[in-house]
Amino acid sequence: MVSDGPALAGTTPGGQPVRFPGFDVLAQVDHWDPVTAGVVLARLSLPSPLRFFTVAEEGIAGALLDHLLDQYEDPRVPVLQMIDVRLTEKQTDGWHYADLPEDGQAWRDSLRAIDDDARSRFDASFTECTGEQQKTLIQAVQDTEGKPWHGMRADRIWSLWTRYACTAFYAHPWAWNEIGFSGPAYPRGYKNPGIDAREPYEVRDHLPIDPTRETS
Amino acid sequence: MNPAETGPGPLSRVTGGLRSLFDAHDGAADRVRGRNESAWLLPNGQGRTNHRLREDMHRYSPDDVVDAVIVGCGAGGATAAQRLARAGWSVVAIDAGPFWDPDQDWVSDEAGSHHLYWTEPRVIDGENPVPLGSNNSGRGVGGSMVHYAGYAPRFHPSDFHTHSVDGVGADWPIDYDDLRPFYEAIEGELPVAGQDWPWGDPHRYPHRAHPVGGNGEVFQRGALAQGIDFRVGPVAITNGRFGNRPHCIYRGFCLQGCKVNAKASPLITHVPDALAHGAEIRADAMVVGIDVDERTGRATGVRYLRGGREYRQRAGHVLLAGYSIETPRLLLNSASKRFPEGLCNDFDLVGRYLMVQGAPQTAGRFTQEIRMYKAPPPEVSSEQFYETDPTKPYKRGFSIQTVSPLPITWAEHVAGQGHWGEDLRRYMRDYVHWSVLGALCEFLPQARNRVTLAEEKDRYGLPVAHFSYSQCENDKHLLKAAQQVMEGILTAAGASETITFTRNAHLVGGARMATDEHSGVVGADCRTFAVPNLLIVDGSVLPTQGSANPALTIMANSARAAERLVHTAASR
Repeated sequence: MVSDGPALAGTTPGGQPVRFPGFDVLAQVDHWDPVTAGVVLARLSLPSPLRFFTVAEEGIAGALLDHLLDQYEDPRVPVLQMIDVRLTEKQTDGWHYADLPEDGQAWRDSLRAIDDDARSRFDASFTECTGEQQKTLIQAVQDTEGKPWHGMRADRIWSLWTRYACTAFYAHPWAWNEIGFSGPAYPRGYKNPGIDAREPYEVRDHLPIDPTRETS
Repeated sequence: MNPAETGPGPLSRVTGGLRSLFDAHDGAADRVRGRNESAWLLPNGQGRTNHRLREDMHRYSPDDVVDAVIVGCGAGGATAAQRLARAGWSVVAIDAGPFWDPDQDWVSDEAGSHHLYWTEPRVIDGENPVPLGSNNSGRGVGGSMVHYAGYAPRFHPSDFHTHSVDGVGADWPIDYDDLRPFYEAIEGELPVAGQDWPWGDPHRYPHRAHPVGGNGEVFQRGALAQGIDFRVGPVAITNGRFGNRPHCIYRGFCLQGCKVNAKASPLITHVPDALAHGAEIRADAMVVGIDVDERTGRATGVRYLRGGREYRQRAGHVLLAGYSIETPRLLLNSASKRFPEGLCNDFDLVGRYLMVQGAPQTAGRFTQEIRMYKAPPPEVSSEQFYETDPTKPYKRGFSIQTVSPLPITWAEHVAGQGHWGEDLRRYMRDYVHWSVLGALCEFLPQARNRVTLAEEKDRYGLPVAHFSYSQCENDKHLLKAAQQVMEGILTAAGASETITFTRNAHLVGGARMATDEHSGVVGADCRTFAVPNLLIVDGSVLPTQGSANPALTIMANSARAAERLVHTAASR
């Protein structure tokens, strides 16, 4: 069984399983159909070397994604590599805005744009900026909303970044461990749907902090 | 009558669902088998695909002039293929995507299901651009129904007369009564499960309602407290065995393709019977043009690319079923001397009046664990707000349904609130406490909402679709009203907070049905006005959309068009 290694059991991004202690979605892999298991387990393998992003883009995109997903500690979901694969393979969502190029070019253009922002605002490249400075620059893009930003609508770039980031991160079983999601359920299905009902292998939320009531 | 007392649940009991296996409506199933044997042609064991049936499939030569060539094997195309093949027609149905095998090709995983969507390039534009792909566009045999949720409501009788009754939208050249027998037939063939339906034309369903999970329970509790009427269903998911299709196992991945064969798609509800009656499904073949004889004015067949080569399939009739983006695009890309602006586009109507439904999703936070992923996303719905309410400043209405997003889709909802970084992660860690409802708002058909050809070309060298969409004032009113109702339901159920993410769902229109060629592309029988042996049998012919999920209506209308075609041809 893949999940037997102590280093892997119940892994969460950043290594802090706070809310669902001991929950390990990979402990159920023997109950998944082989095709699904193959697709999910492949995400645990060593990521392929970058092919889409240039070295300069790698530095900017890596830092940007760390901030967007609050990923500063290992083990990390390799979102940069996952996005690189998608862009290399031109695996888009099947549309792009009329006022933006296709996704790959929009990524390149927007990474260059935020690097330009760093140079004009902090007199340093984006990768040379401090984490706080980088966050300030990212927040400024979000705050620009539907207005133009380096010839692009900022909200559409924001949506491009977050869409690719979230799709990669929440595809990973470590992220499922963190949020208590049981993942694939074929051919077994679920036996206990309903409010406050759990499968035998599901773990109760041990720290049910209402995010709408808490600010950090 | 209190629906919560007559329906299954509020607390779900899956064993109740299993028990109904033994008392399913056998009579109904027997009647279905007599006209569509698909469910009995599937394997009766662990596998989901009858490989022998596919291997033995009749294969026509491109030199054969078949009775009908069909472009697209989704809700419209596959239904027509089955009906025509049953009537003894020689049929080739061509699809750009794969001939899926659920065992090998589909997974219980969100990101791993990307290949189910039409992801060829398209350009979106307008004041309210509509994302395509995973949102509304299918690929391969089965079409978008492979990844639709499974809701299968009928349209209401009022949907066919919105212009004369409400002064908005359009009147259809047919009535609800014209479609009713086909609704009944298709509901039997899918089959649809749900409680007795009180709205529109009241009717019953062949399979009883499914038990509900946490999300459905929240909807029921909140709606009851608000005095809002609701029902469990209607979903095209087996509740009890149907032919060789097993009952649903409640695994929650309906939108990723049903590996169980419980959720209906034409791949399992109509394609097997079509094959058994001699139809050929030609997958992985992209139709690039429709040929029309300049002298006779009749369609002679289609051109398609397969394996890097161009072929022709000649046919007595050409039926288009590429859905609301690709059908108009194919017509526009089939320009000729006689049709310089695109086939059937003499009056600049091809691609126009394309509609999406406004689909705001409102989520509520609960102290309890809802774990909404542990049931089919389609569970409970309400059509109480479907019709025009004279006390409101808008026309027409909306429906409310459970939607139950999986983590990636839920992250999109959360990120759509502006959350990122630590904030995003904190919301996401709270996933099991959220319940999500979705509305379908009847956006009105407008001439300016349309498909045209872009400068950009795809890998086939063809101009891609440019899809422009802008909401009108009535549309915006509906979005707000629907959000308020959903917030009310969730709050009444005990939610401490609600958040709403506005999106769109479904596509219809783009080559609409009308009484004459000055107002539509096809007539009442889905025959194009410009080319007598060219028909359109997909969702693009719908003149209005109600606030119902369109799959059932697309199938029913296609079944009707096929029946009319067979009768007309026989009487000639």
